[in-house]
Amino acid sequence: MKPALLSTLGFLLPLALLPACGRSSKRKPVVAFSQCTTTEPWRVLFNRELKREAAKHADLFDLVVADADDRTDRQVEQVENFIRQKVDVLLVSPKESPGLTPVVERAIDAGIPVLVLDRNVATDRITAFIGGDNREIGRAAGKFAVERLGGPGKAKGNVVEIWGGMASTPAQERHLGFRDFVAKEPGIGVLLDNQDGDWKKEKGYAIMETALKAFPTIDLVYAHNDPMAYGAYLAAKDAGREKEIAFVGIDAIPEEGGVWVKKGWLTATFVYATPGAEAIRQAARILSGESVPRTTPLATRAVTRQTVDAFLAEAGVKSD
Amino acid sequence: MIASLARGKRFLALAILVAAGAILSPRDRDGGIVFLSVGNQADVLRQVSSNGILAVGMTLVVLTGGIDLAVGTTMALGSTVAARLLMERGPTAASTAGAVALGLWTALLAILGARRFLRPSAAPLPALGLGAVVALAFHARAGHGYGVLGVLLAAPLLGALCGLASGLLVARGSLQPFIATLAMMVSVLGAGRLIAGTDRMVHPIYFGPGQAPEAFSLLRERIFGLVPVPGLVFLAVAALAALLLTQTSLGRHVVAVGGNEEAARLSGVPVTRTKLIVYSVSGLLAGLTGVLYAAQYTQGKPDPGTGWELDAIAAVVIGGTSLRGGTGSIGGTLIGVLLFGYLANILLLQNVDSSRQFVVKGLLIVGAVLLQEGRLSLRRAAQ
Repeated sequence: MKPALLSTLGFLLPLALLPACGRSSKRKPVVAFSQCTTTEPWRVLFNRELKREAAKHADLFDLVVADADDRTDRQVEQVENFIRQKVDVLLVSPKESPGLTPVVERAIDAGIPVLVLDRNVATDRITAFIGGDNREIGRAAGKFAVERLGGPGKAKGNVVEIWGGMASTPAQERHLGFRDFVAKEPGIGVLLDNQDGDWKKEKGYAIMETALKAFPTIDLVYAHNDPMAYGAYLAAKDAGREKEIAFVGIDAIPEEGGVWVKKGWLTATFVYATPGAEAIRQAARILSGESVPRTTPLATRAVTRQTVDAFLAEAGVKSD
Repeated sequence: MIASLARGKRFLALAILVAAGAILSPRDRDGGIVFLSVGNQADVLRQVSSNGILAVGMTLVVLTGGIDLAVGTTMALGSTVAARLLMERGPTAASTAGAVALGLWTALLAILGARRFLRPSAAPLPALGLGAVVALAFHARAGHGYGVLGVLLAAPLLGALCGLASGLLVARGSLQPFIATLAMMVSVLGAGRLIAGTDRMVHPIYFGPGQAPEAFSLLRERIFGLVPVPGLVFLAVAALAALLLTQTSLGRHVVAVGGNEEAARLSGVPVTRTKLIVYSVSGLLAGLTGVLYAAQYTQGKPDPGTGWELDAIAAVVIGGTSLRGGTGSIGGTLIGVLLFGYLANILLLQNVDSSRQFVVKGLLIVGAVLLQEGRLSLRRAAQ
């Protein structure tokens, strides 16, 4: 039996990787956050902003962050675990609404205040929802495009719009918001209809490559995210026509869109703010017994050549 | 003797893991040990149930010396079919697929039944007719929408049909099980997407009049607010499979085929039939898991099962069933599933980040296999 025991201990060696921390019985309040994935840059920024804000409240509560690897079942497990740990505030950024709704309701039933971030769930019993407003961002981009092409009533030019995932809600809203302004201008022609770039840089490149061959004058490219706008820029550069075209993107992740604007590759990008910092501020207010608004739409802002330096400095990103 | 010693080691491993979980566990707001709380144990039972049911089917396949890579995508196919059957009125790709599966299995079982209990030369035509009638009846029901029973028939039987196809490729087509089920895994993913439809990949399930019947949520219910129904389904499936394996001639055939196929064939074991049955059962259980997924996450979609087959295989291997076939047990798999589940639970409670979790899980698999092969004992090392 002795070798068996020893071998079993050896077999459990992986557990040594665990930080050994039996917490004391009287603990600080815990704010737990279940993030659906961290493999895309926007989510990474989201977590970074959340953690930076949480560091300011370190005396008030502990923050626990879990990453669900883009799997609904894993995210549900995480939330179940947080319920068992009786965390004091639960933050969830769901992978998808139907899969997460039941377990979020269980957390609410267990008396835990729940803040839902970015994508909502299908229940109105949550404490608060915090997220960006894609329609508003699309409108900001549309307004910028009209100004750039000559101003309201006088705008003239040819625009190429590169879509994100065709069926996705963010792409729809970014499109509709843009149309709110651009459709009012008789002088603006939209070339190419419904080109699906699937949020990817290489697809943005391919669509722009075709557009450049088909149309002798293009004045502005509007892409539903920065990587596609950057892809379009590269295509125009390869065709030697990048100087005559304005490139407008969305998201303004400092390391991506921010840097590309700084380098003069993109003309402008619009911040799709992450709910990270605001979520922590609201969690802190809940823990101090204050109330929070039922929904908090996050404002966008333009990052252009004029504002990019301040923007990057604020984000702590060096452009070179 | 050696087998019981190995099983003893696995029990010990499980016991030590549980002890480690208790020691490392964080405390909740009231100072209780979260890991040991009844609620957390119930959560673990629910969390392992999907992998557990798949692993039971996988154990049977692996015992014959095979492998079934298609269970993950078959699970997802089942969830898609379940969601569409529950939510939509009128014929859909899902109701057609369900009708075909139901009809074919009715016909097949009717033929086999007639030949066994009536006369060995019974003509297949009446059985085919019966199958067609059942299929049409099921399809005709589409206008009213399907209840829990319809879903619990259609999705698992469709899964069983996929399994049967794998079995035919392996047993009759003499394809390597790895290749046959790899092909099936990809095809089933495609079939799932086709059944989901190109415009909507995710099919959410809502309850209410004209939508899914409330009774469907019983499958995700917790009895007395605690015991999860999917966990009970898992335990029941495991118990049935253990009985089948140890108490029936089919069980002896499964082990014999995996032990030495040629010897089994010469001693009169129906090798082909045995293989067809184990792959069908594996598919059936995958389809059932899909129904439970649909209930748990109130949605059906064709892509979430990717990678689940590997978790099931890992649990089977950790449980001591040899990938070469012939030796292993459902009890071992149960321990394998629990080891995996507890480890995930402990890591989650410790808030270990997901990248590190993968590393730890990999080490667990290696450690378990070394233990099983007896290479991880000091006496051996000292020699």
